[in-house]
Amino acid sequence: MDIRIKDIVKKYDGKTVLNVENLCLSKGKIYGIIGPNGSGKSTLLKIIAGLEESTKGKILYNNQMLSKVIMKKMTYVSQNPYLFRTTVFKNIAYPLKIRGIDKEFTYKSVKKIMEEFEIDNLQNQLATSLSGGESQKVVLARALIFNPQLLLLDEPTANIDPNTIELIERTIVKINREKNITIFIVTHNVGQARRICDEVIFLKNGTVIEQGKTEDVILKPKNSETKKFLSLEYHMS
Amino acid sequence: MLGLKKLKYKKVFARIINTFMSLPPVVVGLVVALMISRRGPLGYLELLFTPVAMIIAQTLLVTPIITGIIFNNSKERGQIIKQVCKTLGGDRFDTLLLLIKEMRIDILIAVVTGFGRAISEVGAVMIVGGNIRGHTRVMTSFIVMNHSMGNYSTSIAMGIVLLIISFITNSILYNYMAGD
Ligand SMILES: Nc1ncnc2c1ncn2[C@@H]1O[C@H](COP(=O)(O)OP(=O)(O)OP(=O)(O)O)[C@@H](O)[C@H]1O
Ligand SMILES: [Mg+2]
Repeated sequence: MDIRIKDIVKKYDGKTVLNVENLCLSKGKIYGIIGPNGSGKSTLLKIIAGLEESTKGKILYNNQMLSKVIMKKMTYVSQNPYLFRTTVFKNIAYPLKIRGIDKEFTYKSVKKIMEEFEIDNLQNQLATSLSGGESQKVVLARALIFNPQLLLLDEPTANIDPNTIELIERTIVKINREKNITIFIVTHNVGQARRICDEVIFLKNGTVIEQGKTEDVILKPKNSETKKFLSLEYHMS
Repeated sequence: MLGLKKLKYKKVFARIINTFMSLPPVVVGLVVALMISRRGPLGYLELLFTPVAMIIAQTLLVTPIITGIIFNNSKERGQIIKQVCKTLGGDRFDTLLLLIKEMRIDILIAVVTGFGRAISEVGAVMIVGGNIRGHTRVMTSFIVMNHSMGNYSTSIAMGIVLLIISFITNSILYNYMAGD
């Protein structure tokens, strides 16, 4: 899915937290958003996901305004994922269930995606009893099961061990290549942005400071703010 | 479900519900009795001292409790569930079903609390029902009456029966709702 953002402004109680003039995401690419806490990354994702309304401006999805049809073709995974109080299998199958997909096809699809995320052994476990990393994998599998054309991920690998991060990144990239879906991912991990993103956007105080090819932004940042942020992030990780 | 709507008057609504949750049953009984008494605005329905009157009073007492408990609990978690359902492509109906499923424990607690209030209630029921034998006499009013007449053993026996019924109902509700 292609996304075009035009003059989006978001205010909370009169305070502007987001002000993005122009941003285009093209089909099949992976975009990363980096930026300090409170810079508006989650807010931007939620507005694109249709969960928050912007105070001003508009977003076009494949040249169309947001609609129920578009809502069914994209998904958003929040910073604090929520799993239903039932088994892992039923959690992942949910999006297919509400779309009226038959049981046999559902079973096959769920099995397949569980194998990709290496969670097939958890099939019948209660989702509320999973570890953090396992939950994250289930949430991602649930988001991807219905083949969305746009995937919005808010820090999908925060608090996750390196092995699992590697698996998640690999799977996300694989699905991106196979299905040609557009991915927009918030990350605090500059290394992760380098590994999987085609382009990177640096957000600060709600505005886009710098944007471009991942290598360019991360290795040769033009803006001094970006430089400062990156050197700190690198230093800490 | 009310907890999820972005209502302008949500705060006022919450206040009212919270007040109604703690209404003294006798007051409710009195108001209902006044409304349906011969000279009251609904007097022509001739409901005073009938089971219908008791049901009205009980409903008025219990509904705010159930609504209030669900309202308070659905505010935060309900909002999250609603959001997740939306991001997975669910419509309003899917959201409603999912909310009921996910919040079943909260709903259960609310219903059990409401039931407890209804079954233990005596003041309102006596005022509007009148404790007429074989008609509007319920276990609680039976206990009160026997106690004041000095029939302690009868009232204790009935008290035990009441407890057992309450226990059984609660167990059934728990088994039904929590089992999955
Ligand atoms: N519902 C709200 N009401 C008021 N202010 C809000 C609300 N949601 C977000 N904000 C404010 O908007 C700003 C941006 O928040 P946002 O969650 O988008 O930041 P973020 O870049 O995702 O930060 P983090 O890296 O910590 O997740 C913050 O200052 C936050 O306090
Ligand atoms: Mg955030």
